[in-house]
Amino acid sequence: MMEALSRMRDRFLGRGDAAITIPIFDGALKPNRVLEDAEQIIHVPSAEDLATDGTKVFIADGPRVLRLDDHSLEEVTKFSHDIAALACMPGGGFVAALKSGELRISGGFADGVKWTSVEGRPLRSVNSIALRRNGRLLVTDGSMQFDQDHWCHDLMSRGQSGRLIELNPIDLSSKVLAKNLSYAFGACEFNQDVWVCESWKHRILQCQAGKDSGVVLGGLPAYPSRISASSDGGYWLTAFIGRTQLVEFVLREPHYRKRMMAEIDPEYWIAPALNSGNSFLEPLQGAGMKMRGVLKPWAPPRSYGLVIKLSPSGTVQYSFHSRLDGANHGIVAAVECKGDLIVLSKGSGRLLRLPVAESERLVMQ
Amino acid sequence: MTAPILELRAATKRYAGVPAIDGIDFDLARGEIHAILGENGAGKSTLTKVMAGVVGLTSGRMFIEGKEVQPQTPNQAHKLGIAMVFQETSLVPTMTVAQNLFLGNEPYFNRLRGIYIEAQQFLQSLQFDVDPTTVVSLLGAAKKQMVEIARAVLNNAKIIIFDEPTATLTPEEKQHFFHLVGQLKSRAVSVIFISHALEEALSISDRITVLRDAKHIVTDRTSNFDRDRIIKAMVGRDLSQTLYGQHKTSVRKAGRQMLSIQNLRMASLVKNNSLSVFAGQVTGMFGLVGSGRTETFKVVAGLLKRDFMHGGEIDFNGHATRYMVPSPAVRDGIAYVTEDRKLEGFFETKSIAGNIYLGLLAKLRGKRSLVSNREAGRVGENWIKRLNIRATSKDVKAVELSGGNQQKVVIAKALVQDPELIIFDEPTRGVDVGAIAEIHKLINQLADSGKAVVVISSYLPEVMSLSDRILVFRKGKVVEEFSGTEATEEKIMYAAIH
Repeated sequence: MMEALSRMRDRFLGRGDAAITIPIFDGALKPNRVLEDAEQIIHVPSAEDLATDGTKVFIADGPRVLRLDDHSLEEVTKFSHDIAALACMPGGGFVAALKSGELRISGGFADGVKWTSVEGRPLRSVNSIALRRNGRLLVTDGSMQFDQDHWCHDLMSRGQSGRLIELNPIDLSSKVLAKNLSYAFGACEFNQDVWVCESWKHRILQCQAGKDSGVVLGGLPAYPSRISASSDGGYWLTAFIGRTQLVEFVLREPHYRKRMMAEIDPEYWIAPALNSGNSFLEPLQGAGMKMRGVLKPWAPPRSYGLVIKLSPSGTVQYSFHSRLDGANHGIVAAVECKGDLIVLSKGSGRLLRLPVAESERLVMQ
Repeated sequence: MTAPILELRAATKRYAGVPAIDGIDFDLARGEIHAILGENGAGKSTLTKVMAGVVGLTSGRMFIEGKEVQPQTPNQAHKLGIAMVFQETSLVPTMTVAQNLFLGNEPYFNRLRGIYIEAQQFLQSLQFDVDPTTVVSLLGAAKKQMVEIARAVLNNAKIIIFDEPTATLTPEEKQHFFHLVGQLKSRAVSVIFISHALEEALSISDRITVLRDAKHIVTDRTSNFDRDRIIKAMVGRDLSQTLYGQHKTSVRKAGRQMLSIQNLRMASLVKNNSLSVFAGQVTGMFGLVGSGRTETFKVVAGLLKRDFMHGGEIDFNGHATRYMVPSPAVRDGIAYVTEDRKLEGFFETKSIAGNIYLGLLAKLRGKRSLVSNREAGRVGENWIKRLNIRATSKDVKAVELSGGNQQKVVIAKALVQDPELIIFDEPTRGVDVGAIAEIHKLINQLADSGKAVVVISSYLPEVMSLSDRILVFRKGKVVEEFSGTEATEEKIMYAAIH
C-alpha cells in the first residue's frame, strides 16, 4: 500500500523511478571524436554484425559472410537468408542467426546444425551470438514480439520479452538462462557466469547459475548492445545511441506512444534512430540542439554511438565516441583483432579501424 | 608631474603596538589613477583608511594641496574632498538612489520630486545610466557602485578611494567601471584604488605603489611594471609561475563517481543540468556570472532547493539525495566553502577557534550535548597550524584577520568536518597572491588524498591551473567538458559564450 502511494507520489512529482533523468556522458564516458577520426576501411551499408576467429575479421553482410583482408572484402560463405548475428565456431565454420528466424551452423564439426525454437518458443529476434569456453553458444533473442529490424517497435512498446539462451551444438540441447529481459542484445562469458546486455534498461546483468541476476553495470547513458572480449581480459561494449530526455519522456506517456505508433511513419517517431538528418520531419537525435541553424554537438548527451572499454571486472575504463555532428553513428558491433579494433557503424554503413594502443593513449592522456 | 594633491610623510599607524603601516611616504597627483597593491595584511586598507579619516595616524604627517591636515572622522575627510567607496557599499538599501545621493545634505524642506529631478540631472551629467527613483536594494553591484561614485562627486570629492571596486562585478560591469574611472580622471578627480586583480592595476592606473608587511616597497609609473615585477614586490619572491604560469601536462585519474547530478532544475537559474564529480580529482567549474555554477552546487549542499516537481536527481556516494537544509549534507560528507565569506562564511565577532569548532559541531550534531571550550581551543590550534593561519592566537576574532586568513578559517571550518566532497566557490576571491598559492596547494593536497574537490572560479587561469577536469557552464547547464591537459583559454571561453 505504502509502496503504491510512494509510486503515485513519485509519478506526480517526477521523482524516483518516475524521474525523467539521464546519466551524463562524462568521466570515462566523456565524448570524444575518436570514432569520427578513425580510419574508414570500407563502406558496407547492409552489414549487421562482426565476428573474429582471432586472426581474421568476418562481416555479416546480407546473406554473405565476408572476410576482411586489409581494405578489401572476400566472400567466405553464404547463407540462405540475411544474417542478423554472426560468430566464428571453434575449429572453423560459422554460426549465424538468420532473419528468417533460424540459427544455423555452417562448416566445422557441427555443420548443418540448426535451431528454430527454444523451449517451444520460436527464435524471433536473435541479435548476437557468443561462444563459451565449453563450446556452447550464448544467444540473445531480443524480443519475442518483434523482428530484429523492428527493434524500435519493441522499445516503444516497452517490450520485456527478451531471452538469453544457451545452446549446445554437440547434443543440440538448449536452455533459457534469463527471460523477460527488456531487449536482450549482446552477451559474453564472465568466469562461470554470463553477462547479458538489457538495452532498454541501459544495463548489463550478470546471470549466475541458480541465482538471481545482478547488475554489473547500470545507469548507462546509452542503449548497450553487443559485447566482445578484449585482448587484455576486459570487454568491448558497443552502444548504438545515447538516451535522450525526450525519448524517456515519450516512453512514460503510453497514450501518446500508442497514437504515435498507430498514426505516424516510424521514420519520424520520437524514438532512437541509428542515423538521422535525412528529413526535417525527424526529431533531433542524441539531444541535439540547433541554435540559429547550427547544430551544437556538446548539448548533452552529446554522443551518437560509442564503444565502451570495460575492465575485466566490468568497470568503465574509457570510451570512443562519434559525436552528434559526426557521421559514424549507430555503433552496433566491435571486435578486437591483432591489436586493432574493428567497429561497425550501422548508422553510416562504415567499417572503422582503430589501433587500440594508440586510441587508448589518445583518450587517456 | 604636477604638485601632489595628497601627501603622506612617514605615516605610521599602530594597533596595540603592532604597526599596520610603518613610516610610509606616499603622494598622489591631481587627476591621477593610483593603484595600491599588496598582500592581505600589507597595510593597504589602513593606509587608505588614514586618508579617509576612518582611523588617525599614530605618527607622521598628511598634506592636502600642501596644507597639513589630520582628518579624525570621515566627515572631516569629506570636507577636505576625500571620499572612500568601500567594497561593501555604504548605501541605505531601503532608500531610493536620489535619497542616498543627498543623504546628510538634504534641504530643510525635503521634496522628493525636487531631489529626483536634481539627481536625474546630476546623474545624466556624469553619463550614469541609473534611475534616481529606484530603491537601492534593487540595483546590481555595478549600479550601486555608480551611485557611490556619484555621491562622492556630488560632495565635491577631489580624491576618491576605491577598496576592491571590481571584486563583485561581472566582466561587462568591470569595463563600465573602468570607463567611469576614466571620466573621473578627465574631471581632474584623483583616484586611489586597491585591487587584487593585478591586470586591472596594470591596465588602468598611472602609477602603482606596492606595500609589504606594513612597509612601502616601491612606487613607480605603471609602464615600468609587469605582472612578475608586481608579484615579486608584493611577496618578496617569484610566484607567478607557481600560480598560473604552467600548462598542465598530466591529470589525476578519476576515482569512483562521488557525485552524479542528472537533469537538475532550479527555477530559471539551473536548467536541466547534468554532471559528475569523481574522487581523487579537482573538477573545475567555469562559466560567466549567472551561468548557474554556484546555484547547482548550493542545491547539492542543501543551501538551495531544486524544483519541487521534476527537479532532477542527485546521487551522492551512490545514494539519491534531496537535502532540504545543509546539515544532512554536512553529515553525509559534503562541505561547501562559500564565495561570500563575510556573509555566509564565518561569525565576525567569534574567535578563529570558535568558528572552526562550529564547523565540527555541525558535523557532530545530535552526538554532542555539551560544548567544550578546551576541545574548541585544541581544534582551533590544530587547524591554525595546519593551514598556516597567521594570527597572534586562536582567540583572535575573525573580523580582525586579513582576507586571506579569513578565507583559511572558512576552509578550516569545512575541512574539520572531514568531508568526502569539498566544494570551493571562488576560493581565492579577495585573497592575496601569497595566500592564493597556499590555498591552491591545499586544494591539490585534498585531491591527492582521494577527496573529490570541486572548484568554482570565474578566474580562468585559476581553473586551468588547478583542474583535472573542467566543466563549462552556460545558461544554467554544463555545455562542455575538457581535460586539464587539453583545455585552453580560447576553447573554454568559446564554450562558455556560444
